[in-house]
Amino acid sequence: MSLAYAGALLLSIGGMVVLDHRHRLFFFADAVRAAVVLATGVAFLVVWDLVGVGLGIFFRGQTPFMTGLLLAPELPVEEIGFLTLLCYLTMNLYAGFSRWLRRREDAGRAERVR
Amino acid sequence: MTYLVLDVVFIGVAAVVVLAARAAGVPVRLRAVAWTVAVLAVMTIVFDNLMIAAGLFEFADEHLVGLMFWRAPVEDLGYPVAVALLLPAVWSLLGRRRQREA
Repeated sequence: MSLAYAGALLLSIGGMVVLDHRHRLFFFADAVRAAVVLATGVAFLVVWDLVGVGLGIFFRGQTPFMTGLLLAPELPVEEIGFLTLLCYLTMNLYAGFSRWLRRREDAGRAERVR
Repeated sequence: MTYLVLDVVFIGVAAVVVLAARAAGVPVRLRAVAWTVAVLAVMTIVFDNLMIAAGLFEFADEHLVGLMFWRAPVEDLGYPVAVALLLPAVWSLLGRRRQREA
């Protein structure tokens, strides 16, 4: 039970990898660039989290679904997994929407030329 | 208000990076960002509520403005807005040398 949250996160990240691979969205478009973007995003969000904890805004809850391992006061290890998922999802969505919008623009331009 | 102020600061940093990408000649596609924020916002509200119900985290009520989507504070939408701005901007900035060479 204590691995439930971690398991759900891993499963979701796996889903992101599948989508990324299928459509060449992020790591499968440019792995090095993606690694830097992901690392930047996670670092940025961890700092945000820690400031929030420091200001007394958030707390981790009492739950059987987490391992109880902490990276910092009130910051569970699972949070890194969550932030990674959020960043990966964001870039998959952005890449997907960018491509879709560009295709619509190109199709629109082709129509007008005709 | 504390959480809201925190949001504004971090979203502000993300916005500066978006402006930097524009200044560097590799602007972010804002319409794609808008669609991304829309999807992330819906998912955030849904999953936040599930996560709060599961007891994964809690908030100190005195730091919230009080606008809630069931059990999720509106301030939680700050994270998806900030990453949807920041990450595409960093991606664009990292790609600019390649564009100059091309």
